[in-house]
Amino acid sequence: MIYLDNGATSFPKPPQVVRAAEEAMVRAANPGRGGYKAAMAAAEIVFDCREQAAALFSCKPEQVVLTANCTHGLNIAIGSLFGDGSRVLISGFEHNAVTRPLYARGCKVKIAGRRLFCWEELLDSFRRELRQGVDGAVFTHVSNVFGYILPVNEMAAECRAAGVPFVLDAAQSAGSLPVDFGALGAEFIAMPGHKGLLGPQGTGLLLCGDPGKPLLFGGTGTLSREKTMPEDLPERLEAGTVNVPGAAGLAAGIRLVRGMTPEKIFARGHGQTMACGRALEEMGYRVFTGPHQAMTLSFQGKADCEEIAEALGSRGIAVRAGLHCAPLAHESAGTLEKGTVRISFGHDASPAQTNALLRALGA
Amino acid sequence: MKQYLITFRSVTYAQRGERSLGGRGISGSLSRTPKWMEQQGCGYGLTLRGANIYRAVDALRQDGVSWRRVYVLENGKYQEIAL
Repeated sequence: MIYLDNGATSFPKPPQVVRAAEEAMVRAANPGRGGYKAAMAAAEIVFDCREQAAALFSCKPEQVVLTANCTHGLNIAIGSLFGDGSRVLISGFEHNAVTRPLYARGCKVKIAGRRLFCWEELLDSFRRELRQGVDGAVFTHVSNVFGYILPVNEMAAECRAAGVPFVLDAAQSAGSLPVDFGALGAEFIAMPGHKGLLGPQGTGLLLCGDPGKPLLFGGTGTLSREKTMPEDLPERLEAGTVNVPGAAGLAAGIRLVRGMTPEKIFARGHGQTMACGRALEEMGYRVFTGPHQAMTLSFQGKADCEEIAEALGSRGIAVRAGLHCAPLAHESAGTLEKGTVRISFGHDASPAQTNALLRALGA
Repeated sequence: MKQYLITFRSVTYAQRGERSLGGRGISGSLSRTPKWMEQQGCGYGLTLRGANIYRAVDALRQDGVSWRRVYVLENGKYQEIAL
């Protein structure tokens, strides 16, 4: 199979990740609970994962909260900062993992930047909305549908200058683009562990610059007589047993990413994305590419996007079709009715993958 | 050889302490703390044998690792000490 759905999850997982997760299941018990060897081995695995993430994202290990996925982290972050009536600024390219928690909490959502690949329009409207007054902002680093890289450094600087707390959704950028927690100054950065960081499904990270409000309440292994959750991160936001095999695999995945470097991973993936885009355009497809493109692109053909994806699937090419859980992004790009076919390259991007896709499409 | 025990609010902070001290050549052994030490219930600590406790505490301060209490083992009993 030629796998071009890394925007959904990285697949197959590298052997190091599989081995680490497997080993954890036979060697590690519950971290931060007992003091015996297997419990301490589990604690070491979890701390190693925090250290790997801290090194990659320039933060402290205790600021790294283990979550079940990026959506989980975003829900904690949004619940910590916003409530009923909060005015929250988002980009026009957000995933449902951002919009649904905001609407569920009764936030008043303002949208900045509806033009695909246009930083100028986005920054102009973002500044305008900030001036009019908002309680916070949540924005994605890279659109999961179009691979559009948003100007997050500039948006972060605008938020800091306005004294507005913000959350970054790094679902599609962690592992392939620089994400510097200290430099950005975000209250929270949420990311999956299983996409660009190459960890197992069911893993995610929330980087915290704020103590946050727990989404779940329960055991943390320490301060057990207290009726409330501990004040200290990361345990404050990690009620219940964490996913130890997941953390082991994720630590191995982050090690791989650090070894390869996000810059080199991006260069490979971006190169194939652009080559693919050019070839698809020559074949008559409508391709959504632009000057700020990551490792993902969307396209449309004469046939329905689901039919194109199904036909590719039958030829052993894995891509995703539809709305990709991001109707707002499609609304912004004018593709809400038809949807798109999405190709997303991973750390193993190669010309062979591009060629196989193009052959399957009849090039 | 004196033995000290530094207690922390969570296993994560105890591990941060272990790394902080380890980076300066001070080895500590991570373990659960005795129940009587933790009025709030369940905690972790680092046992240091023969280490300079002042140097160890300075290292934790420099690395921003907060701890709860420091004990010294004397005549088979832990006594809290102020630093």
